[in-house]
Amino acid sequence: MGRNLKKPTFKRGVHPPHNKFSSESALEECPTPDVVYIPLCQHIGKPAVLCVSAGDEVKAGTLIGRAEGLGADVFSSVSGVVKAVVRAKTPTGAVCDHVVIENDGKYECETLPALEDFSRQSVLSRIREAGLVGMGGAGFPSHIKYSPQKHIDAFIVNAAECEPYITCDYRLLIEKTHEVLDGAALLAEALGLDCFYVGIEDNKRHAVDIIERTAAESGLKVKVTVLKSKYPQGAEKQLIYAVTGRRVPNGGLPADVGVVVGNVHTAYAVHDAVRNGTPLYRRALTVCGSGIVHNKNLWVRTGVKYSDVEKYCGGATDDCVKTISGGPMMGFALDGTDYSVTKTTGALLFLGRAEANTLQPSPCINCAKCASVCPMNLMPMYIDAYAQRGDYASAAKYGAKSCIECGCCAYSCPAKRPLVQSVRLAKRIIKEKGL
Amino acid sequence: MKKTVSASPHITKRHNSTRRVMIDVLIALTPCFIAATVFYGYHVVINFVVCLAFCFGTELLYGLIAGKKFDKESVKKSSVWDMSFAVTAMILTLNLPAVMPVKMWGLNATNSDGAIVFSFDTVVLCALGSIFAIALVKMLFGGIGKNFANPACTGRVFLFIAFGTAGAFNVTSSLWAGDMAATGATWLGTKTNVSGSMLLDMFLGNTATAAVGETCVIAILVGYVYLSVRRVIDFRVPLITVGSLAVFIFLFDTVRTTSGANMFYSFAAHIKSRGVLFGSVFMATDYATSPNAFVGNVVYAVGIGLITALIRAFGSFPEGFSFALLIMNRVVPLLDKYIVPKPFGYVKPVKQKNKIKRAEKDGEASGKKEGGGATV
Repeated sequence: MGRNLKKPTFKRGVHPPHNKFSSESALEECPTPDVVYIPLCQHIGKPAVLCVSAGDEVKAGTLIGRAEGLGADVFSSVSGVVKAVVRAKTPTGAVCDHVVIENDGKYECETLPALEDFSRQSVLSRIREAGLVGMGGAGFPSHIKYSPQKHIDAFIVNAAECEPYITCDYRLLIEKTHEVLDGAALLAEALGLDCFYVGIEDNKRHAVDIIERTAAESGLKVKVTVLKSKYPQGAEKQLIYAVTGRRVPNGGLPADVGVVVGNVHTAYAVHDAVRNGTPLYRRALTVCGSGIVHNKNLWVRTGVKYSDVEKYCGGATDDCVKTISGGPMMGFALDGTDYSVTKTTGALLFLGRAEANTLQPSPCINCAKCASVCPMNLMPMYIDAYAQRGDYASAAKYGAKSCIECGCCAYSCPAKRPLVQSVRLAKRIIKEKGL
Repeated sequence: MKKTVSASPHITKRHNSTRRVMIDVLIALTPCFIAATVFYGYHVVINFVVCLAFCFGTELLYGLIAGKKFDKESVKKSSVWDMSFAVTAMILTLNLPAVMPVKMWGLNATNSDGAIVFSFDTVVLCALGSIFAIALVKMLFGGIGKNFANPACTGRVFLFIAFGTAGAFNVTSSLWAGDMAATGATWLGTKTNVSGSMLLDMFLGNTATAAVGETCVIAILVGYVYLSVRRVIDFRVPLITVGSLAVFIFLFDTVRTTSGANMFYSFAAHIKSRGVLFGSVFMATDYATSPNAFVGNVVYAVGIGLITALIRAFGSFPEGFSFALLIMNRVVPLLDKYIVPKPFGYVKPVKQKNKIKRAEKDGEASGKKEGGGATV
C-alpha cells in the first residue's frame, strides 16, 4: 500500500467531515413547476441581453438571452409562453432580470443543428452557441476559457469535489461516465491535446474504477490521478499543483503554466451540446444536509425555484438553521428559498443546528492556526486585523489579493473569526482603490 | 424557522474554541501540578487557589470597570469565561517557589520544628503576582491575544525582582530531600560536580528548585506530548528551544568549566535544570507572544536558547530563562513584521534596476527607443 501513503496533494488545507449523505442516491428528475424564473445572469461577466418578449412562444432550448461582451447565452428550460420579465435577486446577492415562462408541460425541445465535423473550431463555436459556462460554481464562459492564447500541454478534469456534502459530480461520473469522458476528450481536442487527466479524491474509489474501466473500453487516453481527500483539493491552483507539480504564478492563470482545468459537469454539458445539440438549460444538483427530509441528487432545469426543489425533497425540517446555495465552505447563505436554480448551482444545502456555524466571533488569540492551514500560505489574521482597522494597504501587503476564499482559515479558527469576510472586504476595497 | 445568513464557510471545526484550547493547556499542566504537590506539599495547592481567585477577580473586575456596567449581563459576557485566566494562574503558581517568606513581614505560622505550616506572605505575593500579570500585562494591552509579554512570566519576574532580596525566592527543597536538596541551593547556583543519582533525581523531580512546576521532567514530557497530539502547540518549537540552548550552553559553559566524563553530566543537568523544559513547552509556545510564522518561531526559539545560555554562563543570575523569554517576547512584533511567508506561486518581482537594464538591452537589440520594454 506504499502508493496510498503518498497520494499527490497540496500543502496545508483542512479535513472537514465529508458528510456526503446523498452519494448513494441516483440522479432523478426534479418535477418542473408551472412557472420558471430564468435569470439572465448565470455567469461571470455582463448579463445576457433579452431577446424574447412577453407573449412569445418558446421551447426548451430556445435562446432567450444573447451574450454581449464577456458572457454566455441563456436558454429557456421549458416549452411554453413568456409571461414577463421581472427584476429579482440571484443567490449570489446580485439583482438581475429574470424571464418568467409559463410551462405548458410538453417539454418540446429545440436543439442546435448537428455538427458536421468535430474539428477544434466547430467544437469551440458549439461551446459558445450552447451557452456553456464553468459549472463548478464560478460560471466563467467556457468558450473563452477553452481558447487560451498560451500553449497548453495539460487538461485536467476536476473531479475532486472536495466540498463536503456535494455529490452531483460523483453521481455524474458513475452514471454518465461515458458522456463525461467523451466531453472531456472533446475539450482536450479543442485544446490541441490527445489525452487528459482526471483529478479525483481517494474517497471516490468506486468512481475511479468505473472511469478506468470505461476509458479502457472506449480507447480514450485518460490519466486518472487519485488525490488525497483534503479540502480544498479541487481549488484550481491546488489541483494543478497536486496533479502536475506546477505552481500557478501568483496573480496568474492556469494557462500561464500550460494547464486548463475543467469541471466534470462542464465536460458532460460539452458532450450534450456537441453530440446531441442540446444547449445548457439543465443541470445536476445535490440537495443535502440534516435539515432536509430527503437527501437527493436531482436533474433540475434552470429557472426552477429553490422552494420547489425543497418541496420535492420533503421540505426543510425545524432543525434547519442555514440554507446554502453551493457548498458549505464557499457557498452563499440564503435568507429564504425564493431563488432560481442557475447553470452554476451545484448544491442546495439545508444545514441543521449541529452542523452549521452560527457562533459569534471572539477576539483573535494569535494562535496562527489560520496561517498553518492556508493553502495559499497567507497570514489571514493580519489581513483580518488590518481590514478591521481600515488599513487596506497593509492588508494588500499581506497578500489579500492572492486569497482564493476557500475558507480553511475561518473553518479552523478557535475564536470563530469571520476571516473570509474580512479578506473579501479587503479585496474589494483594494480593487476599488487600486492599492 | 429563522435562518442565519453569514459569510462562508458555513461549517466550523467541532470542539475547537478558545476555551477548549485553554482547557487543553490546563490538562497538559495537570501532571506538573500533581508532581509539584507531591514533591513540595500542600503549599502548592494553596498558592494555586489564591492565584486562581485573584486572576479571575482581576480580569472580571477590569472588564466590568472598563465597560462601566456592573449588571448580570456584562458578567455573563465577560472575557473570563474563555478560561485563559486559569492558565495564567496555573503557570504562575508553577513558576513560584512553594513558600515565599518575606523577611520584613514574617507572617508565617510555624510548627514546633520551625517548619512553615502556613505562610501568609506567600498568599500576599501570589495575589500581587496575579494582579500584576492580569491587570498590567494582559488586560491593559487589550486582553487575550494582545498581551505584550507572557503574563505569568512577567508576574514571576516582577515578584523575583521586587522581593528576591527579601528572601522570598529561596529555593524550595523536596519533601523527600536527597543530598542536593539538603544544601538549599539548586544545581545552577552551586554547579557542583554532577553524579548519576543526582541526574535521576532531577529527572524525577526529587530536587531543590525555585519554581515548583519545573521539577519533574516526566510530568513536563507528558504535557508536551499531550499538547503536540492535540495540535495546540507546534511540537517543533520546544525542541528547537531546548536544542539551541543545549548547543549554546555546551559552547559557552560546559567546555569552559568541565572536562571528561563530567562534561556529559553537567550538560544534561543544564538542560534539566530550572525552567528550560517547562518554559519551552508551556511558555515559549504561548500564542500571543510567539511569532506566527514558523520561520519566525525558529528565530524566536533559538534566541531564547542563546540568551538563556549567555545569562547562565556569564550573567549575574544563576538562571535566565524567564528573562530570555521576556526579551524575546519583545522581539516578536519585529519578527512578525519581517518574516512573512511567501504566498503559494510567489514570483520574485524583477528589481527596478535590472528591469531598466534589461529594457535598455532589449531596446538596443531591436533598435527601439529606450524604455519601450520597461513595463511588465
